Amino acid sequence: MSYVLTWLGLMILLALTFASSYLPMGAWNTVANTGISCAKALLIALFFMHLRNAGALLRIVALAGLLWLTLLFGLSWTDFGTRTLSPAPWSSR
Amino acid sequence: MTTSPFDSTLERREAATLGMWAFLATEVLFFGPLFFGYVHGRLASPDAFVAGSHHMHIVLGTLNTAILMTSSLTMALGVRAARTGSGSLKTMLTLTALLGLTFLGVKGSEYWMEAKEVANASGAELQFYFLYFAMTGLHALHMTIGLGVIAWLWRHARGFGRHYHAPVEVSGLYWHFVDIVWVFLYPMFYLLERYSA
Repeated sequence: MSYVLTWLGLMILLALTFASSYLPMGAWNTVANTGISCAKALLIALFFMHLRNAGALLRIVALAGLLWLTLLFGLSWTDFGTRTLSPAPWSSR
Repeated sequence: MTTSPFDSTLERREAATLGMWAFLATEVLFFGPLFFGYVHGRLASPDAFVAGSHHMHIVLGTLNTAILMTSSLTMALGVRAARTGSGSLKTMLTLTALLGLTFLGVKGSEYWMEAKEVANASGAELQFYFLYFAMTGLHALHMTIGLGVIAWLWRHARGFGRHYHAPVEVSGLYWHFVDIVWVFLYPMFYLLERYSA
């Protein structure tokens, strides 16, 4: 039963993200879309992937990937964010 | 007497799940650079990304998202069937595989239509298409591997039950992870400034 409810939640969130993209909200569209995607991912992880009932060890490992992703995004951004762009030949065609 | 590195069946079961989660963490980092490339590209040339996004087939993309999320439901039900030994595992695996194949079919038909758009694209819009094909292509590759795994589970379905279901469990985790990746790809490529399309 909780699986069907999770699926229903996912469908409602899909309808929300789809409909919201037709409302002119500027940068807030991206915020809404990203927020809804995170909510959907959380629903899938907690219920379909059983993180809700998982032990501490499993939860930490599940979060480890996201932690490293954040670190690497941050480190990469210090590079890309502080340089002038030199487009590759194919991207300035 | 045989010795086991595990103190209990529960611990052994959690070890399999733990291994899959560790693998999924590496998968997050595998997809990561492409997500970074997308963020960078979109911040550098937002208009080109919007223009590219308006060429995406919104109806097919949204339909595909619904199909994939439904396949996650059937997969979750399949894992439960294996856990409880209720016998509907094969049915659920079949449904999941059919939904997965439908997803790939729809995606393929989209690629077919978009191939013409790419020919007219240039500059940063071409970069959008590059990221689109690379990211959805990598996702489709993961789906294909997932379908192979489901086929394997289906063949050995009779062996799974209350006492042994780790392969079904970890395959389920993999399938749901691939679903989560798509959950993020969908708004990134299909939903940019739809109101101005």
